[in-house]
Amino acid sequence: MTKLLEIENLHARIGDNEILKGLDLSVGAGEIHAIMGPNGAGKSTLSKVLAGAEDYVVTSGTIRYQGQDIAEQSAEQRAAHGIFMGFQYPVEIPGVSNMMFLKAAVNAQRKERGEPEMAANDFLAWVRHRVKQMKMDPAMLSRGVNQGFSGGEKKRNEILQMLVLEPKLMVLDETDSGLDIDALKIVSDGINAMRSPERATILVTHYQRLLDYVQPDFVHVLAAGRIVKSGGPELARELEEKGYGWLQAA
Amino acid sequence: MSDIHASWGEAFARFAGGLPAVDHAARSAAFDEFIQHGMPDDAIERWHYTDLSAFPKKPVQLATAAALGGYARWQLSGCDERIWLNARNVAGASSATASLPSLDAHAGIAGLHRAFAQPGLQLDVGPGTALARPVHALTVTTADADGEMTHLAHRISLARGAAATVILQNVGLPGATRFSTQSLTVELAEQAQLTLIRVQDESRSTTQWLQTDVNVGRDARFQLVNVDLGGKLIRNDWRVKLTGPGASTELAGLFAADARVHLDNQYEIDHIAPHGTSHQYFRGLGFGPSKAVLNGRVVVRPGAQKTDSEQRIANLMLAKGAEIDAKPELEIYADDVKCAHGASCGQLDDTAVFYLRTRGVPETQARALLTYSFINSVLERIAHAGLRTRIARQVTALLGADLDFDAIGDLS
Ligand SMILES: Nc1ncnc2c1ncn2[C@@H]1O[C@H](COP(=O)(O)OP(=O)(O)OP(=O)(O)O)[C@@H](O)[C@H]1O
Ligand SMILES: [Mg+2]
Repeated sequence: MTKLLEIENLHARIGDNEILKGLDLSVGAGEIHAIMGPNGAGKSTLSKVLAGAEDYVVTSGTIRYQGQDIAEQSAEQRAAHGIFMGFQYPVEIPGVSNMMFLKAAVNAQRKERGEPEMAANDFLAWVRHRVKQMKMDPAMLSRGVNQGFSGGEKKRNEILQMLVLEPKLMVLDETDSGLDIDALKIVSDGINAMRSPERATILVTHYQRLLDYVQPDFVHVLAAGRIVKSGGPELARELEEKGYGWLQAA
Repeated sequence: MSDIHASWGEAFARFAGGLPAVDHAARSAAFDEFIQHGMPDDAIERWHYTDLSAFPKKPVQLATAAALGGYARWQLSGCDERIWLNARNVAGASSATASLPSLDAHAGIAGLHRAFAQPGLQLDVGPGTALARPVHALTVTTADADGEMTHLAHRISLARGAAATVILQNVGLPGATRFSTQSLTVELAEQAQLTLIRVQDESRSTTQWLQTDVNVGRDARFQLVNVDLGGKLIRNDWRVKLTGPGASTELAGLFAADARVHLDNQYEIDHIAPHGTSHQYFRGLGFGPSKAVLNGRVVVRPGAQKTDSEQRIANLMLAKGAEIDAKPELEIYADDVKCAHGASCGQLDDTAVFYLRTRGVPETQARALLTYSFINSVLERIAHAGLRTRIARQVTALLGADLDFDAIGDLS
């Protein structure tokens, strides 16, 4: 069976700086993968390359999503086909309301997929349902995107967007950082709610804490631009105990 | 006398009889001023970026009334509508007889305007009266024959404690080359409050000079949102005098210079009395090979102690070949004042564009949304939702995007 995501020998650089240096990763539908690793290892780079960032140049290797090489696909095409990236540092867009933003996103994706626009009322009901699920104040919908949001609120908003868009492959870059205990629970519930046999999630995280709520099937260590070790949930606990030093030699 | 002056002289002789019978002697004197001083050229400091000395070359004629039933599409809900078509009042009474405006401007061009001045909005609001609805003064210009011109003079006068909102919108239909001047004089008595929304949206073959003179009296307030959407060559002059103690003004503006537009905005605030406040807040967009100038000059006179003045200009360059010259200027002759200014110029943030694209929003639309975000702080000052949306749509359309503004929601 083809994997949902298959990355082979991926090399990517920004400017003259090679950051991903032969990375392999394969993610099957229905799976949750955690990626951990030291600061500067290339975790955010991997997330952005998957999402289609154009400032990174893929020099060799392939990314296959749903069996297709997506090298030529723009970020917006990837999004329409179900790839979602939760940003480590979500962007503020003052004056563009969350509602306008979500509607623009949903309708653009539907258009790209050749589906009709959602009726305004259905859309509003759908978004309200997701806002409630994230235990957010519906008033946030008329506020600017992440405008004046706290760090934790921004992360929660990333998950709200994910729930509204219902992607197939979710790449969540440190969505757990900066969350208080209750928010971590809500965010985890959101991620778990999206768990299904057709979907997969890649959680980039520094902490075991998130993995207590969202049980990963696989844990990988990304160091110096490559996956240097893979294992089950126990690997995360081992890392929490020992750090990354013992792997560096590997 | 040069050929240009000869052709103007002929035009004045031809049309003087047809102009409203106000003060013919004054019109003639104004015309002489024009002939004597000519049009301003770029050797004059205030006209550094714009030279009208060779303009217009062809003989000119006053625009004639045209049949146009289609102005309904610019009308705004909930407003008191006054409409001028080719400088003739066609809807909503133009009250009071107009007299020629006195303008703090270049003597030549002011002379030209006064010589040909046609009565525009004449709004007088009595003491303590607050107008329930905004006045929407809409001027539409058609473009039937080359070289037609219009010279509207508007006047707003608020008595003590009066309050009004006025939307002054100029729309020029595409077509033949045109020349127009337009003046607005505003008198605000003690504690009067005027909110003025000015939308300038001319055809790409129009050369236009706009002059606004405002006197803000004791504890009165003048609040402006000016939107410049273009023309061929637009010169927009503002002179705001804070003449009474405690007078305040906020000048907010947004301009969009798309391809081949020359747009020159000159704002001058004169703090004459103490305890005055002035805020300037501008956002500029450069869309293509175009030139925009924004000069914000603040003068604080010796007697204007405790003045509080701030100027903020931010520009966004959206295409190669766009040029925006933004210059805050401060001249302070009082010692106990608080003045701040700043100007910046930048491009859209790549990370923000990428953020939107990862949500499925195509690049063109992403750039338009971020441009909308950039100008929103000015747009939200436009206290009419329909007009606000229309302007947002028009500006973002310059980026090739068609955004769904129905989903904006309540931003307040
Ligand atoms: N624009 C850039 N130019 C040069 N180097 C860059 C650029 N962007 C990122 N890098 C470098 O790429 C490396 C990987 O960065 P990345 O953000 O992917 O790390 P990370 O694994 O996500 O780290 P963290 O755990 O701190 O979030 C870092 O050394 C970083 O400095
Ligand atoms: Mg990172």
